[in-house]
Amino acid sequence: MARFFRRRKFCRFTAEGTIEIDYKDLETLKGYVTETGKIVPSRITGTKARYQRQLATAIKRARFIALLPYTDNHQ
Amino acid sequence: MRHYEIVFMVHPNQSEQVSSMVERYTNVITAAEGTVHRMEDWGRRQLAYPINNAHKAHYILMNIECGQETLDELDNMFRYNDAVLRNMVIRRKAAITDVSPIKAAEAREERRPRREDTRPKPEAETEEVAAPVAEEATAATAE
Repeated sequence: MARFFRRRKFCRFTAEGTIEIDYKDLETLKGYVTETGKIVPSRITGTKARYQRQLATAIKRARFIALLPYTDNHQ
Repeated sequence: MRHYEIVFMVHPNQSEQVSSMVERYTNVITAAEGTVHRMEDWGRRQLAYPINNAHKAHYILMNIECGQETLDELDNMFRYNDAVLRNMVIRRKAAITDVSPIKAAEAREERRPRREDTRPKPEAETEEVAAPVAEEATAATAE
């Protein structure tokens, strides 16, 4: 039986006790989008549901005011 | 009175108008007995994607406390001002007065080059000091 140890995923926001994820905090947000600009699912990052919801809104807001791209295909 | 956070982007060619626009908006807010809790000018920033063929925009962030009519008025002002590329209004639970992460990052960027300016000087000094020693060393080996 193949046995390999995956590093345990953990929720950064729970660990840090974040109250609210800020859409202006680009450094943090950039860690949760792929190179193509998609939001990384919580099943990959291990973010807790409560923070994943906040994260999604924050990223969408940042996209709207052009702080983050929607895709890597912008002209 | 509710708390709002407003971000609006001004076309880079109309960048000079920003200060007068901000003044106008603050006047509208204070006239209706609202308050401006935070005003940040992020300056001209590169956009993540072009908006109306503009690749840069002048960003302004405002945290305000005002009533519905004032907000409607502001919204109208944004809409009928061609210089405003985009605006976003968010409802907030309280007045936020801390420096935003973007402004903080900007301040860090500004500080970094200064540090680089100060760094080469001591290095140059140490090089000068180190050079004669090295020469001596080579001289010693030559002897």
